[in-house]
Amino acid sequence: MIPAPTLDLGAALPLLLVSGGAFLVLALDLFLGSRASEADRYRKNAVLSLAACGVLAAVIWSAANSFSAGATREFSPDHPMFQLDRLASFGIALVSLGTLLSVLLSTYYLKEIGVQHGEYYALTLIATSGMVLLVGSVDLVSAFLGIELMSIPIYVLAGFDRRKLRSNESALKYFLAGSFASAILLYGMALLYGATGQTSYAGIAASFDGSDPIGVIGLALVLVGFTFKISAVPFHQWTPDVYEGAPASVTAYMSVTVKAAAFVALVRLADATFGQLAGPLTDVLWVLSAATMIVGNLMAVIQDNVKRMLAYSSVAHAGYLLLGIVAGTAVGYQAVLFYLLAYLFLNLGAFGVIVALTHRGHDADRFEEYAGLAKRRPALAALMTLFMLGLAGIPGTAGFVAKYSVFMAAVQSDASERMVTLVVIAALTSVISVFYYLRLPRLMYMAEPGEAAGRLRLATGEWAVLAVCAIAVIVLGVLPNNGPEDLLSFVRAFDWTRESIAALH
Amino acid sequence: MMFDANLLSVVSFLPLGAALALVALDQVAKRVGSELAASAWKVGALAASLVTFLVSLKLWTGYDPTRAEYQFVEHTPWLAEWGVNYYVGIDGISLLLVLLTTFLQPIVLLASWHDIKQNVKSFLFFMLALETGMIATFAALNLFQFYLFWELMLIPMYFIIGIWGGPRRVYAAIKFFLFTMVGSLLMLVAMLVVYRLHFEQTGTFTLDLVAPPGGALPGLLDTNILPSGDVWWKTQPWLFAAFALAFGIKVPVFPFHTWLPDAHVEAPTAGSAILAGVLLKMGTYGFVRFALPLFPDAAHQFAPLVFGLGLAGILYGALVAMVQSDIKKLVAYSSIAHLGFVILGTFALNDEGLKGAVLQMVNHGLSTGALFLLVGMLYERRHTREISAFGGIAKPMPVYAAMFGIVTMSSIGLPMLNGFVGEYLILLGTFHASPWVGSAATLGVVLAAVYMLWMYRRVVFGPVEIPENRGLIDLDLREKLVMLALVIPIFWIGIYPQPLLMRLSAPVNEILRVMEAKRAPAAAASALPITLEASLAEPAR
Repeated sequence: MIPAPTLDLGAALPLLLVSGGAFLVLALDLFLGSRASEADRYRKNAVLSLAACGVLAAVIWSAANSFSAGATREFSPDHPMFQLDRLASFGIALVSLGTLLSVLLSTYYLKEIGVQHGEYYALTLIATSGMVLLVGSVDLVSAFLGIELMSIPIYVLAGFDRRKLRSNESALKYFLAGSFASAILLYGMALLYGATGQTSYAGIAASFDGSDPIGVIGLALVLVGFTFKISAVPFHQWTPDVYEGAPASVTAYMSVTVKAAAFVALVRLADATFGQLAGPLTDVLWVLSAATMIVGNLMAVIQDNVKRMLAYSSVAHAGYLLLGIVAGTAVGYQAVLFYLLAYLFLNLGAFGVIVALTHRGHDADRFEEYAGLAKRRPALAALMTLFMLGLAGIPGTAGFVAKYSVFMAAVQSDASERMVTLVVIAALTSVISVFYYLRLPRLMYMAEPGEAAGRLRLATGEWAVLAVCAIAVIVLGVLPNNGPEDLLSFVRAFDWTRESIAALH
Repeated sequence: MMFDANLLSVVSFLPLGAALALVALDQVAKRVGSELAASAWKVGALAASLVTFLVSLKLWTGYDPTRAEYQFVEHTPWLAEWGVNYYVGIDGISLLLVLLTTFLQPIVLLASWHDIKQNVKSFLFFMLALETGMIATFAALNLFQFYLFWELMLIPMYFIIGIWGGPRRVYAAIKFFLFTMVGSLLMLVAMLVVYRLHFEQTGTFTLDLVAPPGGALPGLLDTNILPSGDVWWKTQPWLFAAFALAFGIKVPVFPFHTWLPDAHVEAPTAGSAILAGVLLKMGTYGFVRFALPLFPDAAHQFAPLVFGLGLAGILYGALVAMVQSDIKKLVAYSSIAHLGFVILGTFALNDEGLKGAVLQMVNHGLSTGALFLLVGMLYERRHTREISAFGGIAKPMPVYAAMFGIVTMSSIGLPMLNGFVGEYLILLGTFHASPWVGSAATLGVVLAAVYMLWMYRRVVFGPVEIPENRGLIDLDLREKLVMLALVIPIFWIGIYPQPLLMRLSAPVNEILRVMEAKRAPAAAASALPITLEASLAEPAR
């Protein structure tokens, strides 16, 4: 007789909450029935999005609880696949927060572009459940499940504005390229399994032989799969097209959460396996990081569409994030986590402004639309400037602390010429980034107003998201880590990242 | 008590606080249904900057010139695990520059009272934010904090040039921003390397330049950085080069100067005056405060090269200034020449040179700031800055001509005026370091006299040929006040520079002492102990 497996359901609580929530929202969508008029549908959508927000708030709450409890819980101790440790809790909170903010951004936006379908929220939650699974995976199989569960709903979401050709193109492109990457990832996993006979990270780390070409190739192919998800060069080509074609709220969602989930998973994988082969693979990562920073920043300069520019900026940021992975130290991984947190608010804020200017089905993604915006919408222009300066890494914003922390981690790591060269490349490419990040502020403040674009009203959700992002960007930029007696004692970003990484050992 | 203990922070953040208060008031007024008038903003901003100046005078009176260490120190952990602290303090050098900033700010605001017509509120907000950035940069003793404010200052200046500037303002603004960024990001990398070296040697993470009073931990200045070695990026020359690039671009030192004429010409009057008056000093100040004491061997090693660049700047600036037809451009190029002198004085690496360099920073701030304001006054009246558009304006504008004359003389370095003292000390120091460079630099003084006087003659003297110039109105009370405020210190420093020089002695000596103590342990070890031993051994025998 097969003994009943001992399962720790508490370990899977966030996962159960978010996937249960997805079905709840789906059921609610059916239960509320179809509505004829736009206004009715809007009301229904508002209910659905509030339900999704409630679910996500519960997930964040449970992740925060497990983080402060600090214990590592395995879902199935006999077959460790998913574990809820501090790193997973941090990752879950991160992706859920990103989802929550993007859901708040979507409600009015979907009405404005005229695609108010309740499935939007269910799909979003399902994708998030994949991310939750991914960040807690300690096994190749569950990691693959997580990646697929995350990706497939996003393929659909990218084409959510189905009457638009661009949106369809975006979905198809993302789907084709994504499937290809998944296949490579799977192939790499198969090779790794072939070389080591294991699928768990711990098992692979224990029996990995750096001189076995099959294992090295397998790990390299797994890395390719991940670099696709984080849109690092040379697997970034899908990014600009998908970012441009997908509805702005979807782009906002995927740009922060997919990157966050994939990087947290990469940190886990890197920590478990890269230590075994410091040589060739870190060289590959070095090249990837340098190429990503250079190509991302250079390509962003010549874009003529705001969403495409932000897509290449997202590529460039993947390069800076990789800097922390190349450093390969606990400090480096901490820097990656902090960077993800900062990037979440910066990018969601920037896309939030685009969403808030979207009018009658048209995303405000042409540069001309921002000319003279400071005169018409001073608050939005100021916010956009803040987010752009933050993305450029200007001091006083979260972006600077994030960039400083990865630079510092890289110089601190093994103090080799290689690392210092990489940091110098990062510094010089940051200068290029200033050029394109200043383009919007330049247009908004220094150009004459062109055609009046955008709506004049800000929906409550948009207003809330922009305010949260702006405050977070400044707080994380000025006082990211506070002691218990300080004014902002609840903001302890460095402690959070340090404790998350400490959970790995 | 609270106020006295945080005097430096109060001075730094008063302008920004006032700016935020004005914004808040404006929002409150909007709620009520009205709006704060632009003139109310002007009065508020002027009052804030005046109060800041008055409070900063307490720094002057409270400063003890006999002590070499930093005073008015505040030290609070900020990002403790990174060794980042909120750490401010001033010595005589930063004291003078802080006072220069707080002194120039109300003058500049008053001078541009009618100059800015659009978006007055944002303009004043940026000006006040800029003032906080400048003071905080001069006061910072933690490298992270220094870098933070150094970069943060770019933003208000970027907008000031880009929104209220001339026809090519957008180009000038982005050029200014990008040039500065290249240098500063490389400096950031060098900073991180020094930080690492310090950790390797002491096992602690800190970015404090020197240990805070009462603190047991060493500061970055105690780091021993090799003058040369196998690991190139850990050696002084490379690290110095990264710092020097950042500061050199800001000064600007000769080949990196191309952003300056653009920025100056396009910026509004207030922007040019602050840019020339204070912002350029960030670079020279950075050399004195950070680059020299951190990398003394490299400073000595690079001194000939920097001398060459400084000299090139002096001659190039002067020659290009000579052929300018636009007064503002002429003044901009004269700035390059003047800052070449400051660079020479700094890299003479001796007492006179350094003192002269710091004093000349203040002098240049006063006289070039004043020149830009004077050019602005002409421009407001005639909407042109072409030298050929003027001539003989001494007749319609006698007071203006007199003020212009004094400031021109001060810029040339006429004895009894401030420029003379600084230039004299610099030349003295340079002669000590290298007679050849000293003699060549003297040529620069002559050239300065040529282009400034020539310009002055063409603008002010001669018959009034162009009819528009006949009806020019002389300075009104506001403008007279502005110029009077600037002319008083020009005379004061020229006649009695002692109070300033006295405050510079101890800190300058301290910098030279630190440099000597850190320099080439091998050379010092071979020189000092042997003589000591010999002198000790003598009586025993």
